[in-house]
Amino acid sequence: MNLRSLLCAIVAVWMLNAQALDPKKLWQAPVDTWPTYNGDYSGRRFSPLSRISPENVQSLTLAWVFRTSSTTGDLGGAVKSTPLVVNGILYFSIPDHVFAVDARSGHEIWHFSWPSKGGWHLGNRGLGMYGDWLYVETPDCNLVSLNSKDGSERWHKQICDLDQFYTASGAPVVIGDHVIVGVSGDDLDIPGYLESRDPETGEPQWHWSSVPKPGEPGSETWPNAEAMEHGGGMTWLPCTFDSELKLLYLGTGNPQPVIAGKGRKGDNLFTESIVALHVDTGKLAWYFQPSPHDTHDWDAVETPVLIDGEVDGRPRKLLAQASRNGYFFVLDRTNGKNVITSEFVKTNWAKGVDSKGQPIPNPAKAPQVDGALVTPNQGGAANWPPPSFSPLTGLFYVNATRAFSEYYIFDDTEKPEGWSGNDRGGGGESMLQAIDYRTGKIRWSHKWEGPGARAGVLTTAGNLVFTGDSSTNFIALDAKSGDPYWHANLGAAVSNGPISYELDGAQYVVVGAGDALFGFVMQSSK
Amino acid sequence: MDGLLRGRLIQVAALLALPASTIFAQSPALPDAPGRDTVQRVCGACHPATVVLGQGRTREEWSQVIANMISRGAKGTSGDFAAVTDYLAKNLSPTQASDNSRSPRKRAGFSMGPDDKQIVDPQAAGRGSTIYASNCGSCHGPLARGGRNGPDLVRSLFVLHDRYGSEMQPYLQERHPAVQGTPVARLTEDQIKDVSHFLHQQVDDTLRSGPYTKVLNVLTGDPAAGAAYFSGAGGCGECHSATGDLAGIASRYDPPTLQQRLLFPRVAASSRGEISTPKPVTVKVTPENGRSVSGTLVRIDDFTVALRDANGTYRSWKRTPNVIVERNDPYAAHDELLDRITDNDIHDLVAYLETLK
Repeated sequence: MNLRSLLCAIVAVWMLNAQALDPKKLWQAPVDTWPTYNGDYSGRRFSPLSRISPENVQSLTLAWVFRTSSTTGDLGGAVKSTPLVVNGILYFSIPDHVFAVDARSGHEIWHFSWPSKGGWHLGNRGLGMYGDWLYVETPDCNLVSLNSKDGSERWHKQICDLDQFYTASGAPVVIGDHVIVGVSGDDLDIPGYLESRDPETGEPQWHWSSVPKPGEPGSETWPNAEAMEHGGGMTWLPCTFDSELKLLYLGTGNPQPVIAGKGRKGDNLFTESIVALHVDTGKLAWYFQPSPHDTHDWDAVETPVLIDGEVDGRPRKLLAQASRNGYFFVLDRTNGKNVITSEFVKTNWAKGVDSKGQPIPNPAKAPQVDGALVTPNQGGAANWPPPSFSPLTGLFYVNATRAFSEYYIFDDTEKPEGWSGNDRGGGGESMLQAIDYRTGKIRWSHKWEGPGARAGVLTTAGNLVFTGDSSTNFIALDAKSGDPYWHANLGAAVSNGPISYELDGAQYVVVGAGDALFGFVMQSSK
Repeated sequence: MDGLLRGRLIQVAALLALPASTIFAQSPALPDAPGRDTVQRVCGACHPATVVLGQGRTREEWSQVIANMISRGAKGTSGDFAAVTDYLAKNLSPTQASDNSRSPRKRAGFSMGPDDKQIVDPQAAGRGSTIYASNCGSCHGPLARGGRNGPDLVRSLFVLHDRYGSEMQPYLQERHPAVQGTPVARLTEDQIKDVSHFLHQQVDDTLRSGPYTKVLNVLTGDPAAGAAYFSGAGGCGECHSATGDLAGIASRYDPPTLQQRLLFPRVAASSRGEISTPKPVTVKVTPENGRSVSGTLVRIDDFTVALRDANGTYRSWKRTPNVIVERNDPYAAHDELLDRITDNDIHDLVAYLETLK
């Protein structure tokens, strides 16, 4: 079945059912719906809503608070997922828990809890939706499908092996009749992969491995079969997708062993790479590697944001990533060719940039027994929290950190495994960077008063940027100048990417901070 | 059915009848002891604070974990971090954690890997180590990470899926390629279980804990060159003196801590299990048409600034263009150093500081 006829079939079913996701919404800019992790497939997190503007943002008011701990006790940790909004209902997750909440009032509709068998309860990025069905990953390596009406389980399927210390935290992305799922885990040396699962049965459709087998393309960047078989490259974050090219775009995680790289000499493809895969087959179309042979835990998983723009007067299909290693990359997303490589914070680990636009690691800045002073630190110049791109300003917004640390090798024996090293240090500074995608230069930088601002970003057609600072404020800034206009202290640092939607003529902005979700609203002026 | 089992089943049935919220209210909790609220607040801001359950570490190891978390963005005062370290060291020491781990209710799923992973018995692992060395090590290597004739066992699916010999037993007795006529085939059930404990211990050590979490040796520099940098290009002598504030510093801190403190004095380097308390940032606020007030910075963001003055009084102001805020960070010179100090300078400087016993 091709995508078009599949869509027709789903639309026919949807018309009978007012709670299901209208699949057409997945291909449109998010207005009354936020149907997938990034709002749409582009990864831009740009809302076309403009009711909230620099002129009236001071009147933005709190509509509701939803506290996960009142349902789950103290188990939640921070809300790191981006909620979906479909037909007036918010769906979001924390590890082992899914909530359906009224998007107007913040009241709970249902709550699903998963009986866990273990895994790393670090965070959960959210859900995917297909018609009536929701999809969530659990820390103990399951993909669970729920009925969106009442949160009842439809089925669950194992997607990774808990005994190998895999875990699962990503948000599934639904593309046509594919449910794209990634895997996580950073403790033993195991290969990363991405899978497409059938939305009805949960059975695998295709499997793409982040590391090659001997003889396959990329295997020349590893010393031997065992190193690549245990080479890492986790698929922590949701992909983006170009419906014309039928390519999905994914950033892959660090190679393993994480810090001690002596047993994996070479570039270690396709770890820490931006890859384009054919959505129907999972076959690799092209790759670009932000960090060849990384030894700093700088997962290149940050959202590959799709930009339809202009460079040197020509319309271009582009892709941009502000990578954890401190570099901003713009690629031609039809072929992966580099357009721009620049630093979005000053770094000290590369000797330069090669002819393909990839940084060349300086071996002196690899971890050492007696320490190497490196910036960014392990937390990175950017990390998983989603950035945003506004087509109105042409600027790419990302919360950035500049910090140093000493990277050490802790295991200098013949065959280091696992991490075998780590970094120590801390402090530093953080700032919101607005980057011109045509030049890679910083148009403006808003420095926060302290280190550690890691919040996700939302831009709107009202020319506002919503994000969190290094304290516990949720802030609206001018998208053109970076001037802060409005803030609210949420009592905990902003912990996810904010979203916006319109219902009954009112524009909502919803954000997670700590164990709570906060709903702000700008009422209709009529 | 005996009474005890029936009682358990009734408990389970009762649990199933309860709403989820009630069940979760009874889920694994941090031990009730001083500092618990601080752990909940500081650690729980990013991840469930209960991830620490089942992890047993010494005070020194916990303080290294805390230092690492601070570098990853953990927020709190130095007092908070000291309280967290103290709480973890007292309530989650290596022996206490393994007691916790044996209780399935407390273990429920908040550390890495499967909940039912093998709990290593150190004594059995010790016996297993001897059996392994004489029967397995010549092929699989001394640390079980593979050798010329045998694969890596830390990465082996047989070992990772094994629980107390459940996978290894049938494999070793029936399918292991070297089985026929070798001592491996004669290992008893108990011996295999001991080897299983040894191998799971190797797996645990490879996870981000155990023996591979220590800085090995940072004393690789030249003390004389370090002394020259101290009084010359480094500019350290402008604030510090080897016979004054730094006299005897090497008796107070080990070399890795000296290295951390010279680079990151503000952060919580650990020394013998203690988190150091950094000097506070001070601030002078001059409101429009008002008198300046100075004190210790409590918090600052784009919108408000707050301080505590010499009398201990808390004051805060809304920030506007007419409110002048002057910050004085005692570690600004160390921050400035990070962009120009070389790795060699660092190693020389540490070697020099180590002479200040």
